[in-house]
Amino acid sequence: MGKITNSSSSSIDSSNHPSISSATSSLPQPKRDLSTDLRLGLSISTSQPDDSSSNSREQPSDWPSLKPLLRCTIAEKGNNRQHPTLFVKVYMEGIPIGRKLDLFAHNNYDSLVRTLSQMFRTTILCNDHVLTYEDKEGDWMMVGDVPWEMFLTTVKRLKITRANQC
Amino acid sequence: MTYFPEEVLEHVFDFLSSHRDRNAVSQVCKSWFRVERWSRHRVFIGNCYAISPERVIARFPRVRALTLKGKPHFADFSLVPHDWGGFVYPWIVAMAKSYPDLEELRLKRMVVSDESLELLSRSFPNFQSLVLVSCEGFSTDGLASIAANCRVLRELDLQENEVEDRRGHWLGCFPDSCTSLVSLNFACLKGEVNLGALERLVARCPNLRSLRLNRAVPLEALHKILTRAPQLVDIGIGSYVHESNSEAYVKLCNAVLNCKSVQSLSGFLEVAPCCLPAFYPICLNLTSLNLSYAPGIQGNELINLIRHCRKLQRLWILDYIGDKGLEVVASTCKELQELRVFPYDPYGGGNATVTEEGLVAISMGCPKLHSLLYFCRQMTNAALINVAKNCPNFTRFRLCILDPTKPDHVTLQPLDEGFGAIVQSCKGLRRLSLSGLLTDQVFLYIGMYAERLEMLSIAFAGESDKGMLYVLNGCKNLRKLEIRDSPFGDIALLTNVGKYETMRSLWMSSCDVTLGGCKALAKKMPRLNVEIINEKDQMMENSHDDGEKVEKMFVYRTLCGPRRDAPDFVWTL
Repeated sequence: MGKITNSSSSSIDSSNHPSISSATSSLPQPKRDLSTDLRLGLSISTSQPDDSSSNSREQPSDWPSLKPLLRCTIAEKGNNRQHPTLFVKVYMEGIPIGRKLDLFAHNNYDSLVRTLSQMFRTTILCNDHVLTYEDKEGDWMMVGDVPWEMFLTTVKRLKITRANQC
Repeated sequence: MTYFPEEVLEHVFDFLSSHRDRNAVSQVCKSWFRVERWSRHRVFIGNCYAISPERVIARFPRVRALTLKGKPHFADFSLVPHDWGGFVYPWIVAMAKSYPDLEELRLKRMVVSDESLELLSRSFPNFQSLVLVSCEGFSTDGLASIAANCRVLRELDLQENEVEDRRGHWLGCFPDSCTSLVSLNFACLKGEVNLGALERLVARCPNLRSLRLNRAVPLEALHKILTRAPQLVDIGIGSYVHESNSEAYVKLCNAVLNCKSVQSLSGFLEVAPCCLPAFYPICLNLTSLNLSYAPGIQGNELINLIRHCRKLQRLWILDYIGDKGLEVVASTCKELQELRVFPYDPYGGGNATVTEEGLVAISMGCPKLHSLLYFCRQMTNAALINVAKNCPNFTRFRLCILDPTKPDHVTLQPLDEGFGAIVQSCKGLRRLSLSGLLTDQVFLYIGMYAERLEMLSIAFAGESDKGMLYVLNGCKNLRKLEIRDSPFGDIALLTNVGKYETMRSLWMSSCDVTLGGCKALAKKMPRLNVEIINEKDQMMENSHDDGEKVEKMFVYRTLCGPRRDAPDFVWTL
């Protein structure tokens, strides 16, 4: 059975990145027990740096063993998650007030139909209802014919209509 | 004892591509030595300070391709100060005088100045291939000289370098007459590129096989580039974000369909969701997929993409793929040889990541796996033993448990038995990185079983000097040993000093070796450079006693004595 090696700790190199301001690099960093820090998340800041190099100010840059480019990319992930959305209007025939739906929040037609069913509390594609969409050219088409990804590139709005009025 | 004329010998030696084979034949007799040295065109130097450029030139007068490595491996993790060394300039100056036929230069972890690149570009009329890996010290101005002056350039491959981006038009510096490019990789550049120049360059280079773009190349430009270069085999996507309903996306889908030869895909430095399906058509033939720089991809999208990649041999991903995702990999990618799983959120609390279960699933599903780098938060001996049984062919096994002294999370035992099983089962293991709670026992196993081991990385492991000695006394093929934050001291350092002359280098930081111990080593072994690196206190020579522990020590064999370009904070004993 081994002992937890609390005696071995690593010093944090503050002067190892050229773009850190000189104020930081002149202060000697105290030796720290890294394993405790990592467990408690104490000294770890998740704030996003202004530029990728100031990361090492707040997080130990020598653990875990990650190359600088990868380390920066992962750190910047918070900034760059753009989450584009594609909100389209949805009308159900007979109901004057429509809804809006983010199509990018769905991966396929099943997911879309499920959400619409919940939104309008009805089963679509059964019981006289048909789901249609207006495409970029202004034509009204049946939902489901083209691959999902292609659908996303042409859909402008959705409509749920009664079958006997198509 | 020459039974053959030298021309015949030379012709025979031409078939020897490995450096070790050539080294061996050069030692047979004087005439073989002579023939070999005149016919060696490719030289590999694992430590640029082990030998001087002048001596290399004197021994091998007709070199056409040189590989040079500078800083020790732990420099990748900010353990080596930036100004430590590894300057390529003196090498280029020397070669400019003596190697007019130089065609290829490959540098790793070296400091490369714009001046060096300029001199390089002007000194070798036949220069064809420049590969820079993890280097620094240059800017896009240096790249502009390469582009402008290397008339027959075939390869410009920049991997993970720190490049100062001056936003110049270096891409535009390739003359219109340059049509020879086969490989262009500038993914690590951060700044804008001249998209028109890029497109024209791609259009006039019919042999272009590999193109890796940086983040500044948007989706709209991508489809134009792919349309111009449908023959590409290796693509690195830059930015992959599009507006909704964009025509660019549809055009891209068509362009991708046209690229029937693509085998390798990487990049996706910025990603919007729902875009990956454009690449499904080429997934079928993909052998290499690197999504480790794409934190913007969702777990589900990643898994859906991988389901299409049945021929994958190399996969680099982030750990949000999770164990479930790794099970999909295991059932889909039966040809997998190399897997790297990087931590998406290394400092976070542990969202969906991967565990020992994912690793076991991979080992069961992918019998050809031989190279692994795996970041995780927990591991067990049982899992490692299982992996060792399923995959006896590992050549590289690197495990990084994010909490560096974490034991087996089920039994709370150290992970000695697990790693022991790996070294015992994988007889061809050449590279090993350890992590987790480890005692001296694991080193006993390594010394006993890891006969082919060449590189060993140790962090926060071991209990006493015995651990390090098991390794030094046991692993007869050991070339590189790097240790940090482990309780090995002077006894470990000094008991088997002869070993270090059989190795390339030894790195020890935050261990228990003292200044006195290092001095003793330097005295006993004059053909080693024993470097003490101490950035905080540059007056080390005067004000410290021998009992003081050394923060960072780097020892390497050399034929040149102490180097003359060491900065103030490096003291060669």
